Amino acid sequence: QEITIRGNIVSATDSEPVIGANVLIKGKNVGTVTDIDGNFSLEAGRTDVLVISYIGFEILEIPIDGQTVLNITMTEDMQLLDEVVAVGYITQRKADLTGAVSVVSVEDILSVAENNPMKALQGRVPGMTISADGNPSGAATVRVRGISSLNSDQNPLYIIDGVPTQGGMHELNSNDIESIQVLRDASSASIYGSRAANGVIIITTKKGQAGRIQLTFDAFLTSTYFNNRMEVLNAREYGQALWQASVNGGGNPNSNNIGYSFDWGYDTNGHPQLNNIYLAKYVDNDRTMLASDTDWFNEISKTGLIQSYNMSLSSATEKSSSFLSLGYFYNDGTLKHTDFNRISARINTDYKLFDGRLVIGENFTLNRTSEVQAPGDVLDLSLKALPMIPVHTIDGEGWGGPSRGMNDRHNPMRLLYDNRNNAYAYWRLFGNTYADLEIIRDLHFRSSYGIDYGNFYKRHMVHSYRSGFMNSDNTAVNMEQGHWMRWTWSNTATYQKTIDRHRFDVLAGVEMNRQGDINFNAYTSGEGAFAIETPEYMWPGVSTGTASVGGGSTGFSLLSYFGKANYSYNDRYLASFTIRQDGSSRFGRNNRFATFPAVTAGWRISEENFMENTKDYISDLKLRFGWGQTGNQGIDNLATYALFVPEYGIGDPTWDIIDGTAYDLAGSGSGNLPSGYRKIQTENDDLKWETTEQTNIGLDFLLFNQSLYGSIDWYIKATKDMLINPAYIGIVGEGGYRWSNGASMENRGFDFSAGYKNSTSFGLEYDITGIVSAYRNKVTYLPESVENSYGGRPGDNILGRPLGSFYGYVADGIFQNQEEVDAHVNQTGKGIGRIRYKNVNDEDNEINDLDRTWIGSPHPDFSYSLNIALQYKGFDLTAYFQGVQGIDVHNWLKAQTDFWSVDDVNSNKGRRLLDAWTPQNTGSTIPALQTINTNDEGRFSTYFIEDGSYMKLRNLSLGYTLPADIVSKMKMNRLRFYVSGQNLFTVKSKDFTGVDPENAGWGYPIPTTWTVGLNVIF
Amino acid sequence: CADFLNETPKGVLSSDQVNDPERLLTAAYSALGNDHYDVPLSLWPYGTVRSDDAYKGGSGPQDIQVFHFFEVSNNIMPNFGEVDRLWFQCYIAISRANNAIRAIQEAENLDNKEEKLGEARFLRGHFYFLLKILFKYVPYVDENTSVDEYETISNRALTNDGLWQKIADDFQYAVDHLPDVQAEAGRASKPAAAAYLAKTYLYKAYRQDDPEKHAVTGIDQADLQKVLDNTEIVLSSGYTLEPDFAFNFLPGSYENGPEALFSVQYSKDDGTRFGRLNFSDLLSVPMGLGCCDFNKPSQSLVNAFRTTGNGLPLENYNTLDQYSTQEQYDPRLFHTVAIPGLPYKYNSDRIYEESWNRNPADYYFYASLKENVDPDCDCFVPMVPFYANSKNRILIRFADVLLMRAEALIELHRSSEALPLINQVRTRARNSTAFVDYATDRMNIDIYRDGINCTWDESFARQALRWERRLELAMENGRFFDLVRWGIAEQVMNQYYNVERMRRPYYSSAQFNANQHEYLPIPEAQIRLSKFMYEQNPGY
Repeated sequence: QEITIRGNIVSATDSEPVIGANVLIKGKNVGTVTDIDGNFSLEAGRTDVLVISYIGFEILEIPIDGQTVLNITMTEDMQLLDEVVAVGYITQRKADLTGAVSVVSVEDILSVAENNPMKALQGRVPGMTISADGNPSGAATVRVRGISSLNSDQNPLYIIDGVPTQGGMHELNSNDIESIQVLRDASSASIYGSRAANGVIIITTKKGQAGRIQLTFDAFLTSTYFNNRMEVLNAREYGQALWQASVNGGGNPNSNNIGYSFDWGYDTNGHPQLNNIYLAKYVDNDRTMLASDTDWFNEISKTGLIQSYNMSLSSATEKSSSFLSLGYFYNDGTLKHTDFNRISARINTDYKLFDGRLVIGENFTLNRTSEVQAPGDVLDLSLKALPMIPVHTIDGEGWGGPSRGMNDRHNPMRLLYDNRNNAYAYWRLFGNTYADLEIIRDLHFRSSYGIDYGNFYKRHMVHSYRSGFMNSDNTAVNMEQGHWMRWTWSNTATYQKTIDRHRFDVLAGVEMNRQGDINFNAYTSGEGAFAIETPEYMWPGVSTGTASVGGGSTGFSLLSYFGKANYSYNDRYLASFTIRQDGSSRFGRNNRFATFPAVTAGWRISEENFMENTKDYISDLKLRFGWGQTGNQGIDNLATYALFVPEYGIGDPTWDIIDGTAYDLAGSGSGNLPSGYRKIQTENDDLKWETTEQTNIGLDFLLFNQSLYGSIDWYIKATKDMLINPAYIGIVGEGGYRWSNGASMENRGFDFSAGYKNSTSFGLEYDITGIVSAYRNKVTYLPESVENSYGGRPGDNILGRPLGSFYGYVADGIFQNQEEVDAHVNQTGKGIGRIRYKNVNDEDNEINDLDRTWIGSPHPDFSYSLNIALQYKGFDLTAYFQGVQGIDVHNWLKAQTDFWSVDDVNSNKGRRLLDAWTPQNTGSTIPALQTINTNDEGRFSTYFIEDGSYMKLRNLSLGYTLPADIVSKMKMNRLRFYVSGQNLFTVKSKDFTGVDPENAGWGYPIPTTWTVGLNVIF
Repeated sequence: CADFLNETPKGVLSSDQVNDPERLLTAAYSALGNDHYDVPLSLWPYGTVRSDDAYKGGSGPQDIQVFHFFEVSNNIMPNFGEVDRLWFQCYIAISRANNAIRAIQEAENLDNKEEKLGEARFLRGHFYFLLKILFKYVPYVDENTSVDEYETISNRALTNDGLWQKIADDFQYAVDHLPDVQAEAGRASKPAAAAYLAKTYLYKAYRQDDPEKHAVTGIDQADLQKVLDNTEIVLSSGYTLEPDFAFNFLPGSYENGPEALFSVQYSKDDGTRFGRLNFSDLLSVPMGLGCCDFNKPSQSLVNAFRTTGNGLPLENYNTLDQYSTQEQYDPRLFHTVAIPGLPYKYNSDRIYEESWNRNPADYYFYASLKENVDPDCDCFVPMVPFYANSKNRILIRFADVLLMRAEALIELHRSSEALPLINQVRTRARNSTAFVDYATDRMNIDIYRDGINCTWDESFARQALRWERRLELAMENGRFFDLVRWGIAEQVMNQYYNVERMRRPYYSSAQFNANQHEYLPIPEAQIRLSKFMYEQNPGY
C-alpha cells in the first residue's frame, strides 16, 4: 500500500536546497520535482526505490524501506571521470580513454551568440583552429592539429548521431547539441578510417530527459557592426595621390581624363608643390552625375541585427523518450540587402521494447536556410570604386557609375540592390533511425540508417541598368536546383564483459556509405528578355531571350569493415586496438582498399597502490599512448580518370577564356555548331589514399580535490602520399591536370590545457582555463614529379621546410638617393623611391628569378586561449581571450593600399598611399607613387609578408540568473538574462598593416557584435 | 559488394569514347577562337601596338600595363601573366591538333584520312607559327611524341631554322593533301595551306643563324623559291582580290569572300552564351559606342598614308601632328582609321566624334576600323562592359600573298617581276572609294610606273614593297613581325620613338634594344616547370 513520503534534498557542496530535482519511483511512471526549498512529497510503496536526478549531480537510487521522511544529500557530478564519452560507434567512460579526446562543454557554446557551433568553439579545444570571416551565415573553416594536407580536403569529419558529414554546420541548430567530442589523434579517430585524417568531431544531439516534461526557451538579439575597416582615399585625397604619382613620373597631372585639375608648381627647393585640387562639377559629359565624395564602404554597410529564438520540449519515461525543438535564426547582415535565416526543427525519440532489450529510435532534423549572399566582388569594389562617383545620378534614382576615362568597375551599391531578391533556399534533412537489440546480456546488435539530404534552389535575376558607361539592356534569369543525397548504413555488434578486474569491450561492424548528387540549371537572357523586371514576373518561362541549360550528376561510394577492442585491468591498465578497412570508389582500381590500424595504451597511475598516499591531492593521473593511421580521400569523385567533355561554350567568356569545342566550320555565322571534345584530366590508376600516421603521448591530471585539471599531449603527425593536382608544363597542352600522390610531411606538436576551478569564502566561484597549442611543420619527402609544385626551385625546394612556405624576393628598403641606386646591382626599374630587392644569388650582378628565396611560413609559433568564468550569487561573468603568435601572413591587399599602379590601376586605393616616400618624406617604408609599375613591385616579396600575430577578446558576457524563489513564482525553473559582446578588441602586431590579421584578405570583415539574450526553463 | 564501389563517371567521356576524329578535329578548329582580349590570338598587342602602327589606348598607360610595356619596349619581364597564358593557349590548340592527328591515323574506316590529316596539320602549323614569331625558340612536340617525353624537350632542341622547317613540313603536307576547295568555308583548303607555307618560307628565308642574336644573317634563295612555288598555287587557284578593299572588313555576306584564304569563323545566335565572337579585338571599340578604346592608330601610321602629288608614298612622311584636310591620302586610310568628323565604319549617320575617345591626352583621337563593325549591325553584341562582334577575322588574304610573292621576287633580284604584283594591290586600293566617297577630295593614289613616277630598281622596289605591306595590312597585326623578319625592327622602332615622343610624352622612356626586344621572353613559369631546362631568350 502507498504511503506519503516527504523529503528534502540538499547539495553536498554547499548544503543549499536542490531545486527542481526529479524524484521518480523506479519502475513506475510516477514522480515529482523538488520545490524552492528542496522539498518534495509523493505517494509510494514501502518497498519502492526512488530515483533522484538533477543536471550536474550524480543520480541517486534510494530504497524507501518504510521511511516516510527522507533527508537526501546530492553530490555534484564533479566526477568528470565517470562521464561517458562517445568515441565512435561505442561510448567509453572518460576515465578509460586512451586517445586525445576533447570533450566540449555545451554551455560554453550556448553562452556565445553564434549561429555556427564550431565558431563558438574557437580556442576551446587544444589543437583545433577555427577561422571565419563575418559572413552572415556563419560558415567557418575548422582545422585540427595544423594542416595535414594541402590540396585535398582539410575539413574534419563530423559524426552527428552516427551519421557522417563534412561541413555545413551552420545549417544545423546548435541548441540541439547535447555534447561534442573532438577526436584529435589518430588512435581515436582511426575507427573512421579513410576520412579521419583531419580529425573527427562527434556530435550527439539531445534526448528526452527523464522526469517531468521540460520546456526550454532561449532567445537573443544581437547587433553587429564593423568597427574596423580598410581606410581608403576620399575624393580630395585621391586627387592628391593622382597628382603625386603623375609628377613623380614626370607627367602632366592635368592631363588626367577623369575631371581633376591641379594648381601646382615647384617650391624654392625645386620640389613639386600642390596648391589646390579642383574637380569638375559633373563626372560625365551628360551632366547627370555630380562629382561627389562617396564613402563606398559606408554606403554598402549597415548595423546588422540578429534574432534567434529556440524552444525545446523534452520528456522521457522508462519506455520512451522524446525531444522536440524548434528554432528560428535571422541575421540581416552587415552589408545592405544581404541576409541569412534558418528555420529548424528536430525530433529525437526512442522506444524501449522487451524490457529494454530492443531500442528503436530516430534523430531527425529538418532545416531550411535561406540567404541573400553579397555578390562576390562587392567588398572589393567598395574599396576600388572611385570616391568622386556618386551613388546616384542627380535625379536620385539612376545609378552613378564610371565616366569615360575611368575604369570599368561596377557601382557596388547597384550590385547589392539588384541582387536583393536573389536568395537561395536550402533544405537539409539530416538524421538517422536505428534499432539496438541486446541479443544476450551485454551483446548488442545495432543497425543505423542515416541520411543527409540537401535540396538547393536558387533563382538569380539580372536586371538591366545604366550606371555611367556601364550599361546593359540585358535581363537574365538563372534557375538552379541541386539534390545531394548521402546515406550511411552501419551495422555493429558490441559486447561488454567484466570478469573480476578485467573489463572488455569488443566492437565489430560494417558500413556502407553512398553519395549521389544531381544538379541542373536553366538560364535565359537577352536584351529586354523580360518586359517587366520584377521577381513576380521574371521566371524563365516568360523570357523572350535565348535559353540554355546545364546539369549533371556525380557520386561516390565507400565500403568499410571495422573492429575495435578495449581492455582494462583493475581500472589501471588500459589498452585498445582498432582496425578499419575502407574501400572507396574515388581511387584507382589498383588501390581501392586501404587498412587503417591503431593501438593505444593507458596507465592510470593514480589508481596504483603506491599512490594511495597522494590521493588527497592527486585525484587522477593518467598516462596515455596512442599510435594509429588515418586516411584522406578528399578529392574529386572522378580523380583517377582521364576525362573528356564537350565544351559547347555556354560559360561566360567576359572575364576569362572559355576553352570551347564548338566552331562554325560551315561559315554560316549562326545556328547550331558542330562541337568536339576537350580533355580536362589525365588518368592515374595508381592514385591512392593520403595516409596520416600519428603517435600521441598524453597525460591527464586532476589535482587538489579536483580543482586543478588538465591534460598535455605530445604528438607526431606524419602525412604521406599527399594528394595534389599540380600545375603542369604548358607544352602538355589541354587536360594535363592529373591528381597524384605527392609530398610527405610531418607535424610535431603539443597541446596543453589546464584549468583551475574553486570558490572563495564569500561565495565567488571561479574557473580559469588556458590552452596552448603549438606544432612545427615540415615537408619530409618530395617525389621528383612534384618537386616544383610547392614553391622553390630545383636544389632549393620545399623539402625540410614548412608546407605552404612563401617563396619570393626580399624587399630591402627603399632607394633614398642616386648613389644607392647606382651602387645596387642590375634591377630593371630601379630608381629613387623604389623598392630595392636583395641580390640573394650574388653570383650574378642582377635581380632575377634566382634571387627568390624562402621568406616566411604560414604556421604559427603557437596559439593560445584563456577563458575566465566567474560566478557570484546569480551573476556570471565570462571573458574569453584567444590569440595566435608568430605567424606570417600574406597581406596581398597591400597591392591596393601601398601602390598606385601595381594592381587594378585607376581604382581607389588605401589611405596609406598618402604617406608614401617622397624626397621630403624619406622615412616612409611605402615606395614612391608611380603611374607605371616599372620596378615590378607587385612581385611576391617580403613587402607583402607580415607578422599576423594577434590577441582578441572574443567574448565577454555577463549573465544574471534570477533567484529560484522568484522564478518559481513565475512557474519557471530557471530564468537567465545575459548580455555579451564579441570581437570587442584586437591586439595585433605593429608590423601588420591590414585590417584584421585573422582575415588578412578582403573578405566579409568580422563584425563586432553585442547581444542580449534570455534562457528560460519551465 | 565490390560492385558497390564501381562508380561510373557521369556527364563525362573517357579516352576510348572520344576517338571520333571528326569531332577532335572540330575541337582543334575551335581553338582558333579560344582567346581573350588580354590573351588575344589576333596578337594585336604584339603585332600592332608593339610596332609603329598603334598606341595601346585604354584609360591610360596603366590600363593593361603589360601591353604598355610592349608599346614602349621597356620593362618587359619574363613573369608577365599575359605572355604565359598566350603560350599556354597556343599549346592547348597544338594538343588538340595532335589528339586529332592521332585519332585520324588510328581510325579504320575513314575515307579521306589524308585530307583530314592535312587540316589538322594546317592548324598545328598555324599555332606553332604564332609561337615561332612571338618567342623564336619553343619546344616542339608532335603526334609521335609520347607524353612522358614532354618534360625532356628543350626549347632549344631545334634550331631557329629547324623549327621553321617543322612548321613548313606541316603546311607542306596540307598543300599536298587538301582539296582546292572545301565545301565548308571554315576549313583549310589547299590554297590556304600554300599561302601559309609561302609565308613560313618567307620568314624562314631571312636566316637568324646566330643563336644569341636576332640579326638577319642572310636570305636563303632556296626558301624564296619555295615562296614563289607556293604563291603560284594560290595565284592559280581562283582566289583573287576583292573588288573593293572594304569588303575584307565587312560582316555578313562579305565574309569568306574571294580574297579570304583562311579566316577565323565567328558566329552568333549559335547556342553559346553570347556567341563565338571575336574576343581578341573587342577592346578596340571606341568609348562612345562601347568599351574600351584600345589599339588606336598612331600618328605615324596616319602620316604613312600621305601621298605626294603623283600619288606615291612620301619619303619624309612623318611630319604632321594630326590628320589634315589639306593633305592627300591613300584611300586605304579611310578604311583603316576612324577620323573625327568622318563617318564611322561607312555609316554616315554615325559621325566619329572626338568625345568618343577615352584618353586623348595620351592616345589622341584615332580609332581602328578594320576589326570593328558598324554598331547598327546585329553582329555587334553587348557583353557588359564590352561589345564584341561576330565578323570573321581573316588570317591570310590574297593581297598578302601577292605582296609575299613580290617580296620573294625582289630578294631573288627579280624586282621587275614584283612591280605588277604591287601595282595590282595599289590598283584595287585606288578603286576602293565607293564606301568612303565622303573623302574622295582628300585621296590621291597612283600605281608605280617605272621611269615615269619612279625608278624601279631593286632598292626602290624593296622600299616600295615594305611600304605597301604597311599600308595594305595596317592594323592586321603583322607589322612588328615584318620588321623583325626584315631585320630592321631596332632601326624603325627607335626612329619612331624619337619622333613620337614629341607628340606622346609617355614615350619618353621608350627604347628598343636590338637582340632583345625582337622576341618575347620565354615565360618564367614555363622555365620553372621545365626545371630550368628551357633557355631564356637573350636580353631577358
